[in-house]
Amino acid sequence: MRFAAAAMAVAGKDLRCELRGKELLPALAQFVVLSLVIASFAFDLDSSSGPRLSPGILWLVLVFAGLLAFGRTFAAERDTGSLEAMLLTPAGPSAVFAGKALAATVLLVACEAVLLPAMAVFLASPISPAVVATVLLATVGMASLGCLFAALAAQTRARELLLPVLTLPLWIPFVVVGGRAVQVAMSGGGFGAWSPVGQPYAVLLDFDILFLVVTSLAARFVLDD
Amino acid sequence: MIVVRARGLVQRFGDRVALGPLDLELAAGERLAVLGGNGAGKTTLLRLLATVVRPAAGRLELFGLDATRQRERLRARLGYVGHQLGLYPALTAFENLEFFARLYGLGRGEARTALEVVGLSGAAGRRLEQLSRGQQQRLALARSVLHDPELLILDEPDASLDAEGRDLLATLFEGRSVVMATHDLALARELCGRALLLRSGRDAGHCGRLRPPEDRPRVPRAIGRWGPATEAEGTSPSAWPPAVRIGEARGVSPR
Amino acid sequence: MTEAVRISADLERAENRRLTALAGAAVAGMLVAGWAIFVYAPQDALQGPVQRIFYLHVASAVAAFGCFAVVLLGSVAFLWRGSLVGDRLGRAAAHVGLVFTTVTFLMGVVWAKPIWNWDPTRTWDARLTSTAALWVIYAGYLLVRRFAPPGRTAMRLAAVVGVIGFVDVPVVYFSVEWWRTLHPGPVLTASGGPAMPAPMVVAYLVTQLAVGFLCGVLVAVQYRVQARRDAAVARAVAAQLELAPAPEAR
Repeated sequence: MRFAAAAMAVAGKDLRCELRGKELLPALAQFVVLSLVIASFAFDLDSSSGPRLSPGILWLVLVFAGLLAFGRTFAAERDTGSLEAMLLTPAGPSAVFAGKALAATVLLVACEAVLLPAMAVFLASPISPAVVATVLLATVGMASLGCLFAALAAQTRARELLLPVLTLPLWIPFVVVGGRAVQVAMSGGGFGAWSPVGQPYAVLLDFDILFLVVTSLAARFVLDD
Repeated sequence: MIVVRARGLVQRFGDRVALGPLDLELAAGERLAVLGGNGAGKTTLLRLLATVVRPAAGRLELFGLDATRQRERLRARLGYVGHQLGLYPALTAFENLEFFARLYGLGRGEARTALEVVGLSGAAGRRLEQLSRGQQQRLALARSVLHDPELLILDEPDASLDAEGRDLLATLFEGRSVVMATHDLALARELCGRALLLRSGRDAGHCGRLRPPEDRPRVPRAIGRWGPATEAEGTSPSAWPPAVRIGEARGVSPR
Repeated sequence: MTEAVRISADLERAENRRLTALAGAAVAGMLVAGWAIFVYAPQDALQGPVQRIFYLHVASAVAAFGCFAVVLLGSVAFLWRGSLVGDRLGRAAAHVGLVFTTVTFLMGVVWAKPIWNWDPTRTWDARLTSTAALWVIYAGYLLVRRFAPPGRTAMRLAAVVGVIGFVDVPVVYFSVEWWRTLHPGPVLTASGGPAMPAPMVVAYLVTQLAVGFLCGVLVAVQYRVQARRDAAVARAVAAQLELAPAPEAR
C-alpha cells in the first residue's frame, strides 16, 4: 500500500536522522532523569510518599517531555524547506504526517523506557504491566495531537508559546483517564480492578482512535497550503 | 501544449501585494528566466508555480490542470528546487535521494542514476553537512529530476554552482520546460529563450498593459499591471537585446 | 465624493442603526431575564438566594457552547469551501464565546463557594477543568490568528484549531458522566423530566432566550468589526493593484 510505504519511509528517515544526530534522545533522557531528581527533592519524597505521589509525577514529566519531543519534529523540516519537498511528491500530506507522528511516538516511547525504570529506582514506584499499558495507550493519542499542533505551531511566529497552549488542553482527557488508571494500578489494582474489565483502557483506546482519525483528516490542512 | 497558463495571478501577504496581477504563458519546451531585483517577487512567483502555495487571486493552470484543485496529479510532473534546498543534513547524499525516490514510488536505481547525472557518485556516502554548498545544490537538482518531470522550477540554481555546474544545468534542461529565477543575465541568455522582468513597488510610469513587440505575432505574453512584468523576447540567445527591454507604458484602465 | 461612496456610506449608516436597535433589544431582554431571575423565580428552599446564579451560569454556558459550535461551522465552511464568511464568523464567535466562557466560569466559582465551600485549588472538578481547557483552546485559536502569517495561512490554521477544539466540547459535557465528581449531574435533562419546579424552569428558559439573543447580537457586532477590518485590508490591496475598491464586504 502506497500510503503505508510512504509513511514508513518518512518515519524511517526521521529515526535515522535522530540516530545519526543524537540531538533529541540524550536530551530527553537527561530531562526525564533530572525532573525526577528535582521532584524527589521538591516533594521531599521518602519510601511512603514516593509511591503515593508517583502517578502525578509520572504524568507531569511525560507531558513536558512530550512537548519537548514534538516541538522539534516540524521546526527543522520547515526551516530547511524539506517539508515542501516532501509535500511536492505524490506521497501526500497525510502519509507525511503519519510518518512524522510515528517517529515522534517511537521517540516518546523510548523516553518512557527511561522514565518508568528511573521512577522505580528514584521514587520506588511500583511499575506493573498495567501501568505500562496505560502509558503506552495514552502515548498514541497524545503523539498524534502533539505532532499535529507542532506542525501548526511551526508555521507561526511563536512556536514555543503556541505548542503548549494548543496541546495541553487537548491532552487533559488522556491525563485525567490515564492518571486515574495509573493511580489504581500503582496501588495494587491490575487490569481486573475496573468493574467492566479494563474500562479506562477502553476509554483511552477510544480517545486514541478518535484523535487519530481527527488529526489525520486535519493533517492536510495544516501541512499543505 | 501550454505548460503554464496564469491569468491575473496575485499573491499577497497580509495587506502587502507581493506579486501581480500577472499573466503568463509558457509552451512546452520553452525556458523562461525570471529576472528582477530583491523583493520583486521572483521567489513568490516560483512558489506559486510549484504549487507550494496558493495564489491570493487569479487562475493558474499547469499542464492544463487547475493548480489549486488538481495538485496531486500535476505535482508529479514538476520538479522544484526552492531557495532552501530541502535536504537532510544528517543523511548522506545517497540516503537523501533514496528517501525522496521512495516518496515518488521509485527505487534505489533511480536514486543512483540521478546521483550520476549530477556528478556526485563519488560523494554518495558523504553526509550532506560534509558537502560544499555547490555540491548540495547539485544534490537538490538531482532530487528535482528524480521522477523525470516535464517542468523544472528552480530558484537561483546557479547561486553556488561552478562552471561545470552551469553546464549541468544545460544538460538537465534538455527536453524540459523551465522556469528559473536568477540574477545572472548572462546565464539567463545562455540557457533561456525568454525572460520575465519583475519589478517591486509601485511605479506608475510603467504600469499598464505591456504590448509584446509588434514583429512577433505569436509570442507568449507576460503582462504586468502592478510591478510591470516585462518581457524580453528572443528566439536565440544572439537575438537578445543588450539589456532587457521594457515595454512602453499604456494607459491604465481599472478592471 | 462619488455616487458609489455616498451610497456605501448610507448603507453603512443603515447597518449601524440596525445593530444599535438589536443591541437595545438585547439589553431589554436581559432586563426581563433579571426580573425573571430575581422576582419571578421562587427562592430555593435549600440553597437560598445563591441558587439564582444557576440561571445565568447555565444560560451563558449554553451560549458559549453555541458560539463554539458556530466557530466549528465557520471553520468547516472555510476548510471545505474556502468561505471567507465562515472564517469571519468563526473569528467573531470565538471572541464572544470566550467572553461567555469567562462569565460561566466566574459565576460557577461564586456559586460553588458558599454551597460546597468549594476551593477550586483543592478539588479540580471535571467540568471546571474542561471548561478551563475550552477557554485555553479558544484563546489559542485567537493566538494562532495573531502569530500565523497573515491571510489565508492564519485562517487555515485557526480553522483547524476551531474544528479540533470543538472535539473537546463533548468531552466537557460527558466528563461529568464518565468521571463523576463534585459537580451536579444534569438537572434540566434528567430522565423523568426536569428536577425543578415549573417556575424555575420558566425563569431559566426566559434567561436562556435573553442570553442567547444577546450572544447573537454580540456575534453580529463582532462580525461587522471583522468585516470592516477585512474591507480595510482589501482596500489597501486594491490600492496597490490600482483596481477599483472592492464592493463593501458583507
